[in-house]
Amino acid sequence: MNTRSLSLIATTILGGLASACATTTPPPLIEAREAYIASSNGIASKLTPTDLYDAKKALDKADQEFAEHGDTLECRDYAYIAHRKIELTEVKARTEQDRHSIAAAAKAGVVVRDSQVKATQVALAQTRTELNKERQDNTTANNALRATNNLQGQELQTTTAQLDAEKQARATAEAKLAGAMKDLAAVAAVKEEARGMVITLSGSVLFASSKYELLNTAMTRLDQVAEALKAQDSDKRMVVEGHTDNRGSDRTNQPLSLNRASAVRDYLVSRGVASEKITAVGMSSSKPIADNNSAENRANNRRVEIVVSAPTVSAR
Amino acid sequence: MTTKIMTTLAILGLAGCASVPIPAFQLERAEASMRGAEEVGALGVPAARLHLQLAKDETETAKKMAGKGDDRAVLVMARAESDAELALGLAREAAVHGDALKAAEDLKAIRARGNP
Repeated sequence: MNTRSLSLIATTILGGLASACATTTPPPLIEAREAYIASSNGIASKLTPTDLYDAKKALDKADQEFAEHGDTLECRDYAYIAHRKIELTEVKARTEQDRHSIAAAAKAGVVVRDSQVKATQVALAQTRTELNKERQDNTTANNALRATNNLQGQELQTTTAQLDAEKQARATAEAKLAGAMKDLAAVAAVKEEARGMVITLSGSVLFASSKYELLNTAMTRLDQVAEALKAQDSDKRMVVEGHTDNRGSDRTNQPLSLNRASAVRDYLVSRGVASEKITAVGMSSSKPIADNNSAENRANNRRVEIVVSAPTVSAR
Repeated sequence: MTTKIMTTLAILGLAGCASVPIPAFQLERAEASMRGAEEVGALGVPAARLHLQLAKDETETAKKMAGKGDDRAVLVMARAESDAELALGLAREAAVHGDALKAAEDLKAIRARGNP
């Protein structure tokens, strides 16, 4: 092998190496291709197909430059540009996806708000219904209360009027009673005892000796007694008691005392005292108020007593 | 002889003044994208800020290369444009993504309120 042959072999090897280096794909182009594959398999193919197509054209240009001239600066420039366009396509796709999310959220928000508004309207309508019912109930209750108040007011007025009338009547009655009692005190002895009010009239003023017919002068006094008795409370009971002294037998004194009591009772009834409230009883000489040892004392013992008392409550 | 000298000088003169014109629309688009990216907030988004800076550097490089008559100036300007557009896209994405997160939060809040 001569020098020329060695030179040819070396040239061939170097040429081969040079050729191999010239056909090695530059990293920017490789990266651009890989980025494009990833992008075309991702969301960009659906959301930004036009941008992806433009990026593909830029990549094709880089591939064409590489195919025609190998790894040149221009080839790397084209690959760089293609890679940026692919990245931009991805960025735009993600942006679009976010926009879709915003629109979907807004739409969902409207649906939720609509639902909330409807629910609020339903609740509001229910509240209004309840409120109206409550108002009606309140109105009914108020009307009932007013009616009750009016009725009670009327009853109160009536009661007050009745009370006033009763007070007036009572005052009148008391005044009448006071007047009658005052008049009575002028003609009879009046005192309060355990058995009630006792009006004592002297027998000599009312009757002649051993008689039981009323004297004329007695009637004037008994008129005043009758007025006093009529002025008493209507539920009072009255007993007319006839008393004698101890002269004579009880056989004569008993009927005499009863007849005298009855004569007084009958006269009082004739003057307006209720007959069912007044009774007569003869006590003879059983209850003297003084010793019968003198004419004055015996005169005091001859008497008629009218006992005015409250009705006795019968025990069951 | 004189004519021959003048022609040579003219060629040399042309050669001395020769520059590769960067298409005005290309430069304008790149600059518009860069301005847009800054307005949208690219300086606050790391990736966008990086590509914005690359676009600016490449624009300067392209202008220098053009001044020197380097044909590759047009391609470098195209690189600058692609970086500027990417910077703008990234800045927009960040803004829209923020809006999307807020929309999701708002929806969550509305749902949380529930029905009365």
